Amino acid sequence: MKKIFLTLLLAVISFGFSGSNETITVKGSDTMVILAQRWAENYMSAHSEIAIQVTGGGSGTGISALINGTTDICNSSRPMKQSEKEKLKQRYNTLGVEIKTAKDGLAIYVHESNPVKELTLQQIKMIYTGKITNWKDIGGNDAKIILYSRENNSGTYVYFKDNVLEGSDFAPSAQNMPGTAAVVNAVAKDKNGIGYGGAAYGKGIKYVHVKKDAESPAYEPTEENIKLNKYPVTRYLYMYTRSRPTGALKEYIDWILSAEGQAIVSKVGYFPVR
Amino acid sequence: MKIFILFLLIIATLFFQPTHAQDTSNIATKEDIAEIKGAFDGMNETVTEMKNTLDILKKIKISGYIQAQYQIADTEALSSTALNTYPIGNFAGGSFPTYVNSRFQLRRGRLKINYDNDVTQYVLQLDLTQNGVGIKDAYISVKEEWYRTATLTAGIFDRPFGYEISHSSNMRESPERSRMFQTLFPGERELGAKIELVSENERYNWLNLKAGFFNGVLNNANENDSRKDFIGRIGFLFPFYEENFEIDCGVSLYAGNVRSNSTEVYSTINDATKKFTRDSLSSNIGKYFKRNHLGADIQMYYDIPSLGGFSLRGEFITGTQPGTASSNSFYNPGSVVSPLYERKFYGWYINFVQNFGLSNQLLLKYDVFDPNSKISDEHIGATGSNLKAGDIKYSTFGLGWIYHWDANVKFIFFKDFVTNEKVNNTATGSLIPFKKDVKDNVLSLRMQYKF
Repeated sequence: MKKIFLTLLLAVISFGFSGSNETITVKGSDTMVILAQRWAENYMSAHSEIAIQVTGGGSGTGISALINGTTDICNSSRPMKQSEKEKLKQRYNTLGVEIKTAKDGLAIYVHESNPVKELTLQQIKMIYTGKITNWKDIGGNDAKIILYSRENNSGTYVYFKDNVLEGSDFAPSAQNMPGTAAVVNAVAKDKNGIGYGGAAYGKGIKYVHVKKDAESPAYEPTEENIKLNKYPVTRYLYMYTRSRPTGALKEYIDWILSAEGQAIVSKVGYFPVR
Repeated sequence: MKIFILFLLIIATLFFQPTHAQDTSNIATKEDIAEIKGAFDGMNETVTEMKNTLDILKKIKISGYIQAQYQIADTEALSSTALNTYPIGNFAGGSFPTYVNSRFQLRRGRLKINYDNDVTQYVLQLDLTQNGVGIKDAYISVKEEWYRTATLTAGIFDRPFGYEISHSSNMRESPERSRMFQTLFPGERELGAKIELVSENERYNWLNLKAGFFNGVLNNANENDSRKDFIGRIGFLFPFYEENFEIDCGVSLYAGNVRSNSTEVYSTINDATKKFTRDSLSSNIGKYFKRNHLGADIQMYYDIPSLGGFSLRGEFITGTQPGTASSNSFYNPGSVVSPLYERKFYGWYINFVQNFGLSNQLLLKYDVFDPNSKISDEHIGATGSNLKAGDIKYSTFGLGWIYHWDANVKFIFFKDFVTNEKVNNTATGSLIPFKKDVKDNVLSLRMQYKF
């Protein structure tokens, strides 16, 4: 009887430890979703014992999931707000760990046929707050400007609002799109459209060169300009964890920051931080 | 010949029919495209309209939580006419009813509606329990648009004093706040207006300030005097992100007054005899007595790798509080005419929480509240001391375990070990039970659902 019991116990213990696949969940920024998927695919191909599940939903959604305990990693295209850090502190007694994983230029998209080549930050602000409504006022055709924006749970939305609109509200006519790809798609089909989003998404559209002010030179969101902080709307892409990562989570994050992980950043169209 | 003509007609019909059909089809396709475009434009308009409606609806946030609990006290609460009666559980969710030592209770049933229009906010929070419906929060707040740092709030909301008030009941690890806060700030809320300065800018967000003027009564009561009370807190955050360590602290001030509606006032303790001096001048009616509190709070957070974060929180408050014979809680001139007791008090608590992974938390809590710091235990109940149950000092040790089932549900297992000051052996009447430590420990088993 004893033998049977011991055998069963050993079998249970062995089952508990043998080949237990670890799952890492990643949720958040839509801007980062392609990058996060590439990282996950590459990492899983070399680490079959690890399963990485990546979903988007926006930076705000990812941060909420981190606070609720439903994700291990939150991707965010904006820094975590103080109010969000307070929630983490109240629930987990930790400050959260911020990891800068890549750099991105927040590009301004227009249709390929649009004659407007450059804009100042002030002009972009006036366009998106509804103070400039016609392309002819900024050197374009006599046509109404169609604004494409993002949902308010998007980190890109928050970053654009805080840093380009300087906190002002978007014009009510701005159409909120569910993701950067949707913004690009809409602008690519709309001769009078304007949108904003990650520099990695620019297919079928034209990047507007952006100037800090009227006297400054205009820059395109290229790797060099973003790396050297010449492009005026440059941001980091973050990963957040609740507490200091350990085990498989730490190994995965270390790999993302390694040369291999950072090479994927460049391939996707963002800019490495290391 | 007829057959030949018929054959030609059939051929001609067959030959011309498709061509004609094709022409018609071409025209129909253009019309179809126009029709589809019209339908698409229509759908687009409908989607845009729905989206606009959805954007408005997204500003309405509904949240809430329910706390259902089962509690067991050391002994049954006795009838108020019985000898040796004393309250049980009055700081663990409300006094137990007579002849009851265990109960199911819906401690809190909150429903919060928040319309967040970015810089302006409407908030209404109701508390629905077996005791009825009460208003917990009802306020408007407006944030300035330029720096997005200053917010004006008016209505019923948390008093801006200390840390424990602002720590929401659904997030707090212990079932109730410390005895000190429950005594000094019953209901936590107050009717008034405040200014709050909090910057999202990293350069300045280490500092925050909130201050305002309040009626100084209770959250759901009308003003009962002409003087407004000032309440304010200045807070500091010192995060060390590399070490995952943070120290937060703050200093709070309450400067207010209470109007007496009684001729009988006890405000002076004789230093030699340690007795309350009875003052029964008729001019005491309408006289104002100081309600001044000074508080300091500190919170520390540290993340232990592989184990989880812990926090150590503490708070100290001292000052003057006008109360009644039986309690050092707020003296309310609007209620029954009762003698006013003005006492110098102090209280503090220390709270330690250790997280274990995502789901488990251990809690250790110790709080002390001395409502009358000018006297000690043997003076209470001494002949002619005029010291009552409201002068008894309490200390409470709490031990708890919190299990988070998922993002919505959590269970709290918590035991309060309450110790009272032992009064003078010659004490009579309602003080008799307090000659020894009364049996008023309470075990709480709570289940919470939050959304």
